[in-house]
Amino acid sequence: MNTLKNHPEDELLAAYAAASLPLSQALCISVHLEHCSICTQNLRRLNQLGSELMQNLQPAPPSPELKHSLLNQIDQMSVNEAANETVTSQTNTSNQPLPRCLHQFIKTGYKDIPWKRLSRDIHSHELCRGQNNAKVELLRIKPGGTAGTHTHMGDEYTVILEGSFSDESGLYRQGDFLVRDSRHKHTPVATIDKECICLTVTEAPIQLTGFFGLLLNPLIRRSYA
Amino acid sequence: MQSKTSADKVTELKDCIARIVSHGDKDAFSTLFDHYAPLIRAYSLAREPGANLIADELAQEVLIRVWLKAGSYNSQLSNINTWIFTLARNCRIDYFRRNGRYVSDIDPTEIFNNIEDESPGPFQLAHQITHQNRLEENIKTGLAKLPREQSEVLTKVYLEGKSHQQTSTELKLPLGTVKSRVRLALRKLQVLVTR
Repeated sequence: MNTLKNHPEDELLAAYAAASLPLSQALCISVHLEHCSICTQNLRRLNQLGSELMQNLQPAPPSPELKHSLLNQIDQMSVNEAANETVTSQTNTSNQPLPRCLHQFIKTGYKDIPWKRLSRDIHSHELCRGQNNAKVELLRIKPGGTAGTHTHMGDEYTVILEGSFSDESGLYRQGDFLVRDSRHKHTPVATIDKECICLTVTEAPIQLTGFFGLLLNPLIRRSYA
Repeated sequence: MQSKTSADKVTELKDCIARIVSHGDKDAFSTLFDHYAPLIRAYSLAREPGANLIADELAQEVLIRVWLKAGSYNSQLSNINTWIFTLARNCRIDYFRRNGRYVSDIDPTEIFNNIEDESPGPFQLAHQITHQNRLEENIKTGLAKLPREQSEVLTKVYLEGKSHQQTSTELKLPLGTVKSRVRLALRKLQVLVTR
């Protein structure tokens, strides 16, 4: 659990704690947090920073009516309701294999997803679009398969859900988080023992640079449009 | 309010939570309201200056959650101010999404509610509490001494809810500069444990 080597940068985790990060990127970080005890600990500390900043604000008192109306509202609620809330919020769902934050998109498992074939080695499934039309998708790379050498026009955020892959910079395992931008050209290859499933957020279409890439580029651009 | 030391105040506020849990104490709730509603409203106004109705709504929503979720708050392990901050943050992002501010299909509650409960997570250790108190002191004293250019970016990101890109545009700074200022501030405040 503590062996992860690839974490979000400090300022990215801070933006997550502040909830000022685009939601698509926050989704990737949320998956990473479910696997990373150190970032979870740091998140709590960053929350504490947020709370100190909030305490330093000039208080803006409400009108007295607000309190009356709120006291009326809670009068309508029974104490039982509060008790129920406690129970539900403590339900432990951590034993489920899917990251909790992906339940909104995937109900059962990765097998039941209507995967779309992108190449011999890769299948993809678009989950949604984020702000600025960022593409949020799952990629499934077959064992030993390659995602093709590519660079990016915008940033690409990746978190590994299952399996592992390597590229020029290293080996990435379940829970690892990485950002690639236009300065990077990389060739991710899934390890041969099993297929690799990742969540990726791409801000602009990626650009394949190899020979097969040249053939694939029009396909990718079409699927992005 | 200012006459008490902040540690006494925190103890009093924690006690209010305990009174809500044990017997639904409305006076305790009223004390929490008096302390936190002005801060939550200020937090909302930092993002939407002048929007007093939104600020009222956010304050109501957060305090209703406090009433309902008081039982899940663990006073021994977590800081009440931090708990309120996470509730306010989650309510604020949720509010803006419901009102069409985000063009996105992603539901933020699924992302942030996971980290809402400050009850001990699977990784939380008792000795971290000592660290927590020390951290609180570090941050308090550190914030006062932070260079203006660094506290400015923290304000944008945390209070105004601006992305790094928006912060860069508004302050007319390169994106890399915004990121490095946040990084420097975090280092100076000794917020993070090293990985």
